[in-house]
Amino acid sequence: MSYRRIILFATVLTALTGSVIAEDGNALYEKAAKAMASKDYNTAIPLLQQAVQADPDNLRNASELRQAVLRQTIAAHPKEGSTADFDKDIAFFEQVTKAHPMSANAFLNFGFAYVDKIAAAGSITQVILANTALTQFTKSIELKPTWIAYYTRGNSYLYWPKIFGRAQMGVDDLEKAYAIQKMEPKRSYHVRVYNSLGDGYWKTDKLDRAIEIWKEGAAAFPDDPGLKARLSKKGEDLEKYINDVLDPNKRVDTDLKELWRIQ
Amino acid sequence: MRPPHFKPWRKAWIAVALGLPAVVLAVEGIEAKIRFADVTQKAGVNIVHHTRQFKGSTGDVLHMFTSGGSSAAVGDYDNDGFDDIFVTDSDAGKPNHLFHNNGNMTFTDVAAAAGVVKGNDPDAIVADALWFDYDNDGKEDLLIGRFGTPILYHNEGGGKFKDVTANSGFTKFGNTIASVAFDYDNDGLLDVMLGNYFKPVNLITGGDPHVLPNDLDNAVNGGGVTLWHNQGGGKFVEVTQKAGFAKHTGWTLDIGHGDFNNDGYQDVYLACDYGTDRIYFNNGDGTFTEKTETATGFDTRKGMNADVADYDNDGWLDIYVTNITDEYMKECNMLWHNNHDGTFTDVSRETNTCETLWGWSAKFGDFDNDGWKDLFVVDGLRSAGKDNYIPVVVNLITTPGVDFTDARLWPNIGNMSWSGYQKKKMFRNLGGTAFKEISAEAGVDNDKDGRGIGMGDFDNDGKLDLYQANADQLPYLYRNNSEGVGNWVQIKLTGTKSNRDAIGARITLKAGGLTQIHEIDGGNGYAGQSTKKAHLGIGKASKVDSVEVHWPSGLVESFDGVQINKLNKLTEGSGHKQAAWKVAKN
Repeated sequence: MSYRRIILFATVLTALTGSVIAEDGNALYEKAAKAMASKDYNTAIPLLQQAVQADPDNLRNASELRQAVLRQTIAAHPKEGSTADFDKDIAFFEQVTKAHPMSANAFLNFGFAYVDKIAAAGSITQVILANTALTQFTKSIELKPTWIAYYTRGNSYLYWPKIFGRAQMGVDDLEKAYAIQKMEPKRSYHVRVYNSLGDGYWKTDKLDRAIEIWKEGAAAFPDDPGLKARLSKKGEDLEKYINDVLDPNKRVDTDLKELWRIQ
Repeated sequence: MRPPHFKPWRKAWIAVALGLPAVVLAVEGIEAKIRFADVTQKAGVNIVHHTRQFKGSTGDVLHMFTSGGSSAAVGDYDNDGFDDIFVTDSDAGKPNHLFHNNGNMTFTDVAAAAGVVKGNDPDAIVADALWFDYDNDGKEDLLIGRFGTPILYHNEGGGKFKDVTANSGFTKFGNTIASVAFDYDNDGLLDVMLGNYFKPVNLITGGDPHVLPNDLDNAVNGGGVTLWHNQGGGKFVEVTQKAGFAKHTGWTLDIGHGDFNNDGYQDVYLACDYGTDRIYFNNGDGTFTEKTETATGFDTRKGMNADVADYDNDGWLDIYVTNITDEYMKECNMLWHNNHDGTFTDVSRETNTCETLWGWSAKFGDFDNDGWKDLFVVDGLRSAGKDNYIPVVVNLITTPGVDFTDARLWPNIGNMSWSGYQKKKMFRNLGGTAFKEISAEAGVDNDKDGRGIGMGDFDNDGKLDLYQANADQLPYLYRNNSEGVGNWVQIKLTGTKSNRDAIGARITLKAGGLTQIHEIDGGNGYAGQSTKKAHLGIGKASKVDSVEVHWPSGLVESFDGVQINKLNKLTEGSGHKQAAWKVAKN
């Protein structure tokens, strides 16, 4: 896949997350947003599900649906929510991907639905969920090799303990995401790749390259607390910090709001 | 209901939260250096354990899954005043060992002469052992837990044992890995609970390959537990269903009993692999009610051990559970602090007892006699070649739709290691507020594949020694050589109306401004039974202010003349009768 083609897809992605939203889906989303604002998840969730079905490649609707499910289950089951609630969400996205097998963003959100469940699951189920999520992220990349897909899969690989040898796969993906963002106008979410790619280099024992990319990121995003923290730490302190960031027992923020927020 | 005595531990907790050194708020204590010396060879207990070898295509996998049967049971079978050690082996035809304590920190294996070598039959695997006086004749009898049917030996005296299994009622097959004895109905006879790992199919002859856990975090196809009521006359009757335990089908690895709610009845904590532990409260009428959801909450961890003690001297029993915390799995152990209301809070992170790698047995014991119970934890699954099994097995685990129960699908481990070469952990109790790891300086940070711990004062010098049973390796016998330790009190209780072993009896001892409780337990802790002599450190105190015993019969007595730095023998009915404690509902 040439980078030109990747950029093309990235452009398509930007459009999808911005203005090209089906009218029906948009109306449903607006209704759901009002319900979400009043924490009426029972109303919001079916509306968002309809919106996703109407426009499966729309990242906003799918992301907001997952956030609604997450908030609802955590409200009912403090700490990390109910695995059964997450299973319903997974089943929904599975059905969406079956109905729309060419929808890259549906697969991306299908993967995120598995990630959302991880913190609520047992230690071995976490491995299974993480691996299944990777499968969906891979399908998304195969359909559309976008910045968000590469970043997501690359970052996911980094959560795997070193013993599984997946960190280099993460670096490979994150380097692709980095290449894409270098050819785009600067966006706030690009800082994520600087953080994660550096973490990937660190995990593959390339500390010099890690520091280099973190410094490059800090030059572009001087106020980013993650980059500041990484660049201020050394040795065991840095190891503790990165291990803490990549602790699979902690909930991973899969809210994609940043992608369609005004840059 | 037993009267709780409250201590200002909350003040210390606040100190911990504020980052202050916990030790500064501890009761003034002694400055002992906890040190242990490896005396395994010199003591003559250097025998290697052997895990069962299985035949067929699933042999390698079953060998791996049944490597937990290296256990040690401490008890004075010949009443000579020195605790002896029964040690299991597990491979076909391999003998068990009865190490008679010669009184000089050497031991002689007398298993053959005593008649207790057997158990590792072609179709049965020895996995645990338990000393208990089931007929109250003053001599410790012996129960052998097996992947098979148990064996019950009656102590005939004169160093001889007789197999009385056939008429005992213990004829039900189970894959038993844990055994405890306690008197759940306070009728004066010790009952038996067996913890079973696999479902009740014979792994050797059964031919069913679907024997492994159906879920690795929420398995429900294990062996559960069975409860056996002692009818007297050497007869036991299964009461699992009647007592309320039949619904538990988890992979039980350990059983911890104790009076968790101070109502005079023994409650039960089940540590379970591949899924949630369970806690049952005794209703006092021969039945139990499961209270997991409200007491601790459900978990998905790999529970391996349940030891019970009042680590913070607040008058309520707490529970320590080991799980798996390694590079690839971050579960954290659980130190269940008793909230005095039927609920528990896990304080393992706050107390620094969270991480002990692939944990197995853990035992509370006051190793420096300062009045605060320390903790020894053994760990390590399989130390072999340099290749690691984890990346191999993860391919199976992540295969969509794979049937985990099918042993044929699991990759062979061959000579690979799996959470091997792990250093053992010893923690010093810093006044009930936190623990400090002292493994290396204490000399117990060996890297063998630990399983059970048997604790006792084998040389009667007033310091607790440790026997560490390892899988497929030599054991360790550690003599406690600590310097500058505090004074101590040992108490051997003898029940008359209560069970003679006094299992379940609670001692409340006051000395030096500290009040401690100690319950005699019947085999708490994974694959290991510790001495039935209560050992209580009292620091710098030069006398005992009071000793009270709450017997399982309900009798409460105080005893005069309890001496420090000696073994005191207290018999039920010979003390000063006290008013029964008021029942205060949780």
